[in-house]
Amino acid sequence: MYIQGKGTEANTYDAIVVGSGISGGWAAKELTEKGLKVLILERGRDVKHVEDYTTAQSGPWEFPHHGRVDQKVKEDYWAVVRTGYAANEEHRHMFEKDSENPYEEKKRFDWIRGYHTGGRSLMWGRQSYRWNKRDFTANAEEGIGVDWPVRYEDVAPWYDYVERFAGISGSKDGLDVLPDGVFQPPMEMNCVELEVKKGIESNFPGRHMTIGRVAHLTAPTEEQTALGRASCQFRNRCMRGCPYGAYFSTQSATLPAAVNTGNLTLINDKIVHQVIFDDELKKAVGVRAIDQNTKEEVEYFSKIIFLNASAINSAWIMMQSKSKTHPNGLGNASDQLGRNIMDHHLAAGASGSWEGFDDQYYVGRRPNGIYVPRFTNWGKDKRDFVRGFGYQGSAGRSNGDGTNGEDTFGADFKTAMTKPGPWYFGMQGFGETLPDERNRMELTTNKDKWGLPIISFDAEYRDNEWKMRETMVNEAANMLEAAGVKNVSTYHDKEKAPGIGIHEMGTARMGLDPKTSCLNKNNQVWGAENVFVTDGAFMTSSSCVNPSLTYMAMTARAADFAVREMKKMNL
Amino acid sequence: MNRRNALQRVAIMMGGVISAPTMVAMMQGCSTPGTESATSFSFSPDYQKLVAEIAEVIIPKTDTPGAKEAGVGSFIETMIGDCYKEFQQKHFVAGLDAISAKAKEAGGDFASLSEEQKISILKSMETGAKDELELQKGKAEAKIRDSETGLEKSVDKSTEEEVPTPFFNIMKELTLFGYFTSEPGCKEALAYLPIPGRYEGCVTLEPGQKAWAL
Repeated sequence: MYIQGKGTEANTYDAIVVGSGISGGWAAKELTEKGLKVLILERGRDVKHVEDYTTAQSGPWEFPHHGRVDQKVKEDYWAVVRTGYAANEEHRHMFEKDSENPYEEKKRFDWIRGYHTGGRSLMWGRQSYRWNKRDFTANAEEGIGVDWPVRYEDVAPWYDYVERFAGISGSKDGLDVLPDGVFQPPMEMNCVELEVKKGIESNFPGRHMTIGRVAHLTAPTEEQTALGRASCQFRNRCMRGCPYGAYFSTQSATLPAAVNTGNLTLINDKIVHQVIFDDELKKAVGVRAIDQNTKEEVEYFSKIIFLNASAINSAWIMMQSKSKTHPNGLGNASDQLGRNIMDHHLAAGASGSWEGFDDQYYVGRRPNGIYVPRFTNWGKDKRDFVRGFGYQGSAGRSNGDGTNGEDTFGADFKTAMTKPGPWYFGMQGFGETLPDERNRMELTTNKDKWGLPIISFDAEYRDNEWKMRETMVNEAANMLEAAGVKNVSTYHDKEKAPGIGIHEMGTARMGLDPKTSCLNKNNQVWGAENVFVTDGAFMTSSSCVNPSLTYMAMTARAADFAVREMKKMNL
Repeated sequence: MNRRNALQRVAIMMGGVISAPTMVAMMQGCSTPGTESATSFSFSPDYQKLVAEIAEVIIPKTDTPGAKEAGVGSFIETMIGDCYKEFQQKHFVAGLDAISAKAKEAGGDFASLSEEQKISILKSMETGAKDELELQKGKAEAKIRDSETGLEKSVDKSTEEEVPTPFFNIMKELTLFGYFTSEPGCKEALAYLPIPGRYEGCVTLEPGQKAWAL
């Protein structure tokens, strides 16, 4: 159903951006700043900066279960609860009810969603690391998946560009495995973290520990202040939305920048499910969407389209976008669409206690931890698996000073419980997963409440990931013991499934050849070059570092290319 | 942060007093879909009072408010009703039955007993909980080790019995959690700093300094 005449005109823009999360926000900012009239279509409700962060100032006592999850919630949020934290009362409203957005699991897949303005940029972990040179060449060197059509040198200036705008706090360490960037001042480590750092670095040459690089302002620039952003207040209530705009989100950063241009239209509640492809023009002309409340179908038209609906949903849209030219789904001549799902595997590591520093404490709740960059299969290190992992962790003091002796309740016990307790240190790995075309998503014939196809997942950790996890556990224990941590215990949660890192990616990978990939080196869909995919779907491999910074850089790069091509009348 | 870390953080906040079985109960309560209605549960008026009294023995009023003033009794009722499965709810109420019976033996209503008597009853519940756990542990080990071959069998989850966590463990964990996340618990018993504004990693403790709330 095409809307004719005035309707079409009213629904026509220079560019449509599907999704308003981290990458969609960047696409909108870049395209509007370059003068394009841009429409963002967001499938969920609006969340206004600050005013809709309804729990931002609430104490734990203001929630009926002081934050915890009740039985009814477990049914509605059956996937969200698998994270162990996302369904907690203080930020539950930022996550989707799985009961209303069902999916199927041939194998368990933890798909954690945030359908609203800003998407998961409101709840993300904010850890922001550049890829290194070898992250872009490893596939080719090892004959895994396909080669990246870009190299570090292509992306580096865009890392600079997005870091400067987003605001990344971190320390320059001069490591080839974890390239430095444009940083605001780093956050501090506490006493025990500093000791563990010394212990690790002196006992294991080539291994390092640094403070997490995180998208929080610690010394805002003029540009950031002008957007209404302020320094981190160290409340660590980030997932509720930050009233200071201190961490990077669509709402705090890219959306106000795009709005300031006067070129942005944001429409909520529109579930884009198809790209409209014109077989005669050999290009996409618009998108088809369903209103999530009225179920009315609407079409919007534009010269270029950016798909930023998240890796799974962008692939889902492309799979439904069939035409004579693209009978298998948009850009899917390779049959790679929906395959090669990757994530970062975690929940394997070690922890223990620290003896000493009884007279030392800290002030503030740092929304960040320490980071141990990858060291496996790096330099002379060789393992029985390929690639590697980084560790994220922290030290702190528990409550309860342990002087209560035999008392396990009562007045003395209570008093003891109000004193700072023993120090602990813990860290867990975040491991790279390999692209494997058997790890995939498919459309089923079952429909959701909007009549749209439900996704079925068939993905799992495989040999390389399992071997890596053993090493994640063992090396964590080795390093903590060598660094002087006492009572070291290891943990390895084997029930975790792909998706739990909330870093799903790879479903429409970039490559050099349309026979083996969905996107070219500029994130253009093969055979529909005015469609760009710049969310996690484009990832050809996963590295072991958190991916969002790379999505930002690649989105800004693709937007720059798109506008240059439009000016040359090539799109 | 994953689930394990979330639990670990709770454990840390509780000074390590939260036991593994209590965590399991939390997860059962909070990660397995239940079929029973969560809204119909309530304690009898006598037991509402009893739970509040027990919580006050665990966290009494000192120079800062106790559990009663912090509303921990009704918080526990909400938690037991909403966050735990029916078999766990029943087991908890059975624990209250046991305390009532012990109180009667000692001379009447739990609230009317002397501090020493109250403490002695809770101590006996605490010992009972340890025995209960030992017994459960024994059963679990017997189940997975084949008695003839001595080989370990894989545990089939579908036939796993739902083993309740002892009354005392849940009562204590919920009292500590409820109290130290209550307004008086955070603001008066602990050091409460809603907007720190800074992070300093190494700060020398002041004499008598309290642990941070949150």
